[in-house]
Amino acid sequence: MSANQIIYDLAVWLDTHSQSTALHESFYMYNWIESTHVLALMISLGMLFLIDLRMLGLALPDIPASTLAQRLSLPMLVGFGVMIVTGLMLFYAIPVRTSQSLWFRIKIVLLIAAAINAWLFHRRMRAAGTDWDRMQKAPRALQWGAGLSLLFWALIVICGRLIAYDWFDCRTSPIEPIATVAGCLIDQAQF
Amino acid sequence: MRYIQYALYLTLSLAAIHSWQVLAHHAFSAEFDKDAPVTLEGKVTKIEWINPHAWIHLDVIGDDGEAVAWMVEGGTPNTLLRSGIHKNSLPIDSEIIVRGYRANDKTCEPACKANGRDLTFADGRKVFMGSSGTGAPSDGADPRDR
Repeated sequence: MSANQIIYDLAVWLDTHSQSTALHESFYMYNWIESTHVLALMISLGMLFLIDLRMLGLALPDIPASTLAQRLSLPMLVGFGVMIVTGLMLFYAIPVRTSQSLWFRIKIVLLIAAAINAWLFHRRMRAAGTDWDRMQKAPRALQWGAGLSLLFWALIVICGRLIAYDWFDCRTSPIEPIATVAGCLIDQAQF
Repeated sequence: MRYIQYALYLTLSLAAIHSWQVLAHHAFSAEFDKDAPVTLEGKVTKIEWINPHAWIHLDVIGDDGEAVAWMVEGGTPNTLLRSGIHKNSLPIDSEIIVRGYRANDKTCEPACKANGRDLTFADGRKVFMGSSGTGAPSDGADPRDR
């Protein structure tokens, strides 16, 4: 059984849940979740981008980098948590179409890349000590991490936005290799 | 240096504002053709009651007597409820007339696609389908038009 078949079967199973139907048919809940997702994203990424820009010497250069990271990380993590929960709910509301969205799949790959990058960034930051704390720019390795973080998250937001469009939806029968990457199956009954 | 900073902040804020504004629905012109108005008369075959866009499927009998499958996009379930369409008001096989605009993609696979402007029930009652304000052509008929 192919990976695409397994993902599809799982999505169809999620779709049979009455809560999933209740969410995608809802008059208010879906809209609230979607808006909350975007607002939480603005808080979370707003904080993250400030930290990243500080590392690159482009924002608040007179504040020690560690102080800034410490103060902003709580709202960033809270926003991140809300973003993840509402994101999962949005997926749960429309599992089949979303799991077969080209953009959603690119977004997941980028999210994994961003997570690895964040993990490396923290490891390097611990290794770098605090000598550079008051310098305008962080050490080169951390600058790379900050730059990649900005790039990954910008692309993640763009991909998330593009999920709304149906250009490559399986029911529009996209050409290969897009169809395979998006996970379209030849004999699928649900879209 | 300072100018680069300002430019960066401006770009980021605009990107954030833009993504917020348009998340709820996609722009009309990205998927639909304002120069291809269409009037569809047929029987409801299926309703996809889904956020952020509901879809009404109907079979339209063509000139040659063959049924052509169409799927017409409406607003959110909430928008449709406010304009007078709810889950039970469109039973399968009920006769409706839908006016709207064809999709840019005119391949009709697996069904012809359109954006719904308004819908007329069998009893003559006419309601809007929630495309107002999305960039769809506006003739001022919908009081909610912006």
